[in-house]
Amino acid sequence: MAAILKEAAEHTLTGDKLDQIIREKAFAESSLSIPAALRKKWPLLKNDLTTPIQHPPSMPLTSLQKRWLKTLLQDARIALFAPDMNGLEDTEPLFNLDDIVYFDQYLDGDPYGDAVYREVFRFVLQAVKERRSIRLRYQGRTAPCCVVCMPYRLEYSEKDDKFRILAVGKGKRYIINMARIQHCDLLEQTDMGGFHEPQPRCRTLTFILQDERNTLERALLHFSHFEKETVRLSEYEYRVTLRYEKDDETELLIRVLSFGPMIQVISPDHFIELLRERLKKQSSCEL
Amino acid sequence: MAFSELIKDHERIRDYMRQFYVYGFKSREEYDAKSARSYDNERRRIESWLGDYMSFWQDANGKRLFLSVDSRAIRYNPLYQSFKAKSFTDKDIALHFFILDIVADPCSLTVREIVERIENNYLSHFDDAFSLDESTVRKKLKEYENLGLLTAERNGREVRYHLSADTVNLDSWMDAVAFFSEENPAGVIGSFLLDKADVPPSYFGFKHHYILHALDSQVLLDLLTAMREHRAVTLVLRSQHSHKELRRVVYPLKIYASVQGGRRYLLGWHYGRKSITFYRLDAICQVTPGAVDGEHDDYMACYTRFRKYLWGVSTSTVHGVEHIEMTVCVGEGEAHIPQRLQREKRNGTVTQLDAHTWQFAADVYDAAELLPWIRTFIGRITELRCSNQMVVDRFYADLERLRQMYGGEDDAV
Repeated sequence: MAAILKEAAEHTLTGDKLDQIIREKAFAESSLSIPAALRKKWPLLKNDLTTPIQHPPSMPLTSLQKRWLKTLLQDARIALFAPDMNGLEDTEPLFNLDDIVYFDQYLDGDPYGDAVYREVFRFVLQAVKERRSIRLRYQGRTAPCCVVCMPYRLEYSEKDDKFRILAVGKGKRYIINMARIQHCDLLEQTDMGGFHEPQPRCRTLTFILQDERNTLERALLHFSHFEKETVRLSEYEYRVTLRYEKDDETELLIRVLSFGPMIQVISPDHFIELLRERLKKQSSCEL
Repeated sequence: MAFSELIKDHERIRDYMRQFYVYGFKSREEYDAKSARSYDNERRRIESWLGDYMSFWQDANGKRLFLSVDSRAIRYNPLYQSFKAKSFTDKDIALHFFILDIVADPCSLTVREIVERIENNYLSHFDDAFSLDESTVRKKLKEYENLGLLTAERNGREVRYHLSADTVNLDSWMDAVAFFSEENPAGVIGSFLLDKADVPPSYFGFKHHYILHALDSQVLLDLLTAMREHRAVTLVLRSQHSHKELRRVVYPLKIYASVQGGRRYLLGWHYGRKSITFYRLDAICQVTPGAVDGEHDDYMACYTRFRKYLWGVSTSTVHGVEHIEMTVCVGEGEAHIPQRLQREKRNGTVTQLDAHTWQFAADVYDAAELLPWIRTFIGRITELRCSNQMVVDRFYADLERLRQMYGGEDDAV
């Protein structure tokens, strides 16, 4: 509504513009309800699509919003963003971040207090914003590496407590752990005319889930961050299909194993073969 | 009453959204907590907010709707939409824009002066506008003062209102807000801040991202506020299976969040049982703050002792503390295995026994809770021992079932 009144206050609102704002900013059925309310119930817009509102609508931050911002200052990761803290001097945090325990988060998270890490993070973020290429130097598994690429996203995993850089260079998609980078140079701006974000290679996993030991709820919640579909086959048996990125196959394999015999993978065949290999290897460990 | 996509009470729709998102295999008739008409209305609302993520499939027994989101592919949590659909009255929305427009000019006005301006400068432009009384405006001004939008100056009986000072440079915060709106437990607040941006930042992606937590935001915030104020709370809990409502009076101590399983829990001191107990956050319907409890330090000391043997959230003490040991073999070039043990253990120790053998050992309340993690090492476990033999037996029984499932050992089909 604020966007509509802003246009109306500036005498630039038209019927088409009104529809467009509602389509872009409101819910699907708002295109019916908002125009009707503006005609009959809300004394905000006149018939000629002007408004008695004098100023472009704006609102100061609420106390809750300020307190939330203040809460963020307790988080070690805020050092990556260096926001202007002025205006929050007399504000109390909304809650204490150490009241939350991430009990199964991995213990080797990124070093947010490290000056080199923070500098690399800021350069990469700047490169993403300004669509610039970067030169990254990092220690590979066996030797120092150098890569020139264009980052397009910073991806964070709460489970790993790590940032990864998603980038493209020479037709290749890179996923590089931020913490491994020792040096980052900002290079020239890139012509983004023909840039399309590379699509990850995805695969589909299908498994049969036996609802013993509350596995249904546990597994469906566990895998809920994937695009997935569940079909009930019988009272205690379900078929779950989910899409995953090929690069994450090993991780998904051990996540499936963690459910033991409650989950039976039925496709793809190569995934089943990976499970068999693990079981064979386990048998050899027991000799 | 005509359908509206807006809602008065978020709690009403919370369970439907959860069911559509987590399960998604139920037909209309199986949503038995409410009436069929209620189902139709809530489904229509969710479709209106989240149409891009809704899908369905149909079989002989009917249509099954589900919400499916690849949380790695999205920039913002779509479930926050449900908090932006709060219903309001015609007067609410009109007064909102009138009042903020009036105080946008530097001024300090009484309720009467604000009412006069609303009538003269705004309502007079419309023939059939609603009538306004001073008490309605007074309530709205008080509400906005409580929200921090307006500041009231009191001089005897006279109260004058002006716009609250806001010197926060929100532009400088936008990258942080974009990140923390997804990563902070109360990120829904950041989502509202992002709505202030013409083009919100979209540089961040999130892996292993459990967006369902959004639906528990209000409950979480109420609990965190009580913790900060050292208050007891009364919880209304909904049983997952029987849908019965239970009440518990608890002193909240910590929120336990699983970043691998997607569940969140309240850990609190149960006054009735005089012990520490976990409660699923998604089972809590309502949190009512109670009195400040002066025994905070005692409860925290109890928690500090208690957490020593926690692996997850199981507090089973049937067998007392259980000891568990897992030995794994590590081949050449497999340095990532001991690294995994070190970073994934939540308590206990990791010891190198020889060049190719590592051992994890821990004392925990419930060793069975480690089984899912232990199974992720299948393929390299040389020994599993536990003071509770049932845990070892279950591991090997499950392993045998897996072997049967995937075709035995050497004659895989």
